[in-house]
Amino acid sequence: MKLTRLLTLYGIAFFAFIYAPIALVMVYSFNANPVNMMIWDGFTLDWYRLIFGMETGITESSTYIDSTPQLHAAVRTSFVVAFSTTAISTVFGTALALAVARYRFRLAGFYRVLLLVPMIMPDIVLGIALLIFFITIGMNLSVLTIIVGQCTFLISYVFVTVSARLAHMDVSVEEASADLGATPFATFRKVTLPSIAPGVFGGALLAFIISMDDLVITYFIAGTGDTTLPIHIWGMLRRGIKPEINAIATLMLLATIVIAGLGLYLRSRQK
Amino acid sequence: MSLRTRRTWSLLGLLTAPSAFLLCFFLCPLVLMLIYSFLTPGLYGGVEWEFFHLNYGRILGWADTKYERFDPVFLIIFLRSLRLAALTVLTCLVISYPAAFWISRMPPARRNFALFLVTLPFFVSLIVRLFAWVLILRPTGFLNQGLMGVGLTSEPLEFLYTDFAVVVGMTYVFIPFTFLPLYASIEKLDTAQIEASFDLGATRVQTFGKVILPATLPGIAAGAVITFIPALGNFIVPSVLGGAKVVMIGNLIEQQFLSARNWPFGSALAMLVMAAVLVLLIVQLRLARRQDVP
Repeated sequence: MKLTRLLTLYGIAFFAFIYAPIALVMVYSFNANPVNMMIWDGFTLDWYRLIFGMETGITESSTYIDSTPQLHAAVRTSFVVAFSTTAISTVFGTALALAVARYRFRLAGFYRVLLLVPMIMPDIVLGIALLIFFITIGMNLSVLTIIVGQCTFLISYVFVTVSARLAHMDVSVEEASADLGATPFATFRKVTLPSIAPGVFGGALLAFIISMDDLVITYFIAGTGDTTLPIHIWGMLRRGIKPEINAIATLMLLATIVIAGLGLYLRSRQK
Repeated sequence: MSLRTRRTWSLLGLLTAPSAFLLCFFLCPLVLMLIYSFLTPGLYGGVEWEFFHLNYGRILGWADTKYERFDPVFLIIFLRSLRLAALTVLTCLVISYPAAFWISRMPPARRNFALFLVTLPFFVSLIVRLFAWVLILRPTGFLNQGLMGVGLTSEPLEFLYTDFAVVVGMTYVFIPFTFLPLYASIEKLDTAQIEASFDLGATRVQTFGKVILPATLPGIAAGAVITFIPALGNFIVPSVLGGAKVVMIGNLIEQQFLSARNWPFGSALAMLVMAAVLVLLIVQLRLARRQDVP
């Protein structure tokens, strides 16, 4: 049928639209042309050398400002923030998911709605609300405020992921464990935790990726010296386009694709 | 200790710390923002804890008569944000619909892989994806080079810093948001109904308009709302691809906090965005409920 073929062609165009811009960045990160980054001028790894702080063959103009040390500091900050927020939000999100799914209490419905709000709300609103709050209570903006601020919405993502896992879990196994005389803590450690572990892991992975990528909320609550990677790149973009952004972007792409791919692969194996 | 009290204690153990955290760092900030939106802006940033009647009025163009005259510029920016967000939603829907249809008809293994490919960009850094579009839309960018190469234009066209660039950027960033709910409802389509429609002599267009479209309406509505909300309050896309020329409400809010230092007015603007989001969600919930009860 002709329509099916048309649809297939369209589908290919759809994926081209999604992936061509990303591929473009990757390809041009190897472009040797330092003046006009749009014109291909041979293959080079110099942009990668540059961002790793190695010797390069790039002739620098007098106005060129090397921002590599700031880049490295930003990457470090991003990792510190992402690991801390992932740890906190995974514990809190999992605890809330367990409470809402396994206990009957009056506020359960309230928690379900409350935890949905940060995911639906526009980022900018949460960002400025946190900024107002931190300044009003006299908390100096720092890495700590970034961590606290990001956790407020990352908890929701962990909550949703773990809740989905809990919903598919058989309650009777837990009941059997209790009937056989296991203490609630033993039941939790030996039965509940292993069976929700993939959900917890998935939630943690999601929290990590979102934390590494968060721009809007971090932008409002970061101290002047504490730049994360997305904010650093944004700053570079505002000062003008430089070819090494291609290389940074490519490395970030590879990292996210590996992490997200791993997460989605693990999820597909569970089923 | 009885089982009941033990369970109560363990529930409290699970709830206390996260609840305290969310109360302190999520609910309090939101309430504080609401309060700020009614306070007097301080002369050099910050606030004075006195009621001020004009924060919301200024959005509509009301002037404080001392320094300002009637000027609906803020309202115009808000309306422009609504228009650009709506355009983004429309573009996302039109682009996603056939693709979702195509993927839903694939054999299961390929279908899962295709869905994986659609979801993957969602995890790719937002700023990286926008950077890619800067490269494409710049005066010396790929689009212009392509157009000049084919001879469609002799000199570079202005794509960057236009409404077009902002809508393209937002479409690109938010397409997974539209796609997934849309796909969920297209996948559930009853093929028997479509075949019946053809058997009864309906044309393709009729079948689409009378059978397929109504059946996927909940997915369209859900995808539209979930895309519209982040698009409306966005300020990264307009500041990267729109520059100073395309200002949306998100940029306006950012300015109130970082350069204009009028926090109460910025809070009032944020409340306006929240109100718009809330209205939208209520409408969508109503529609979804009506669909459930035939």
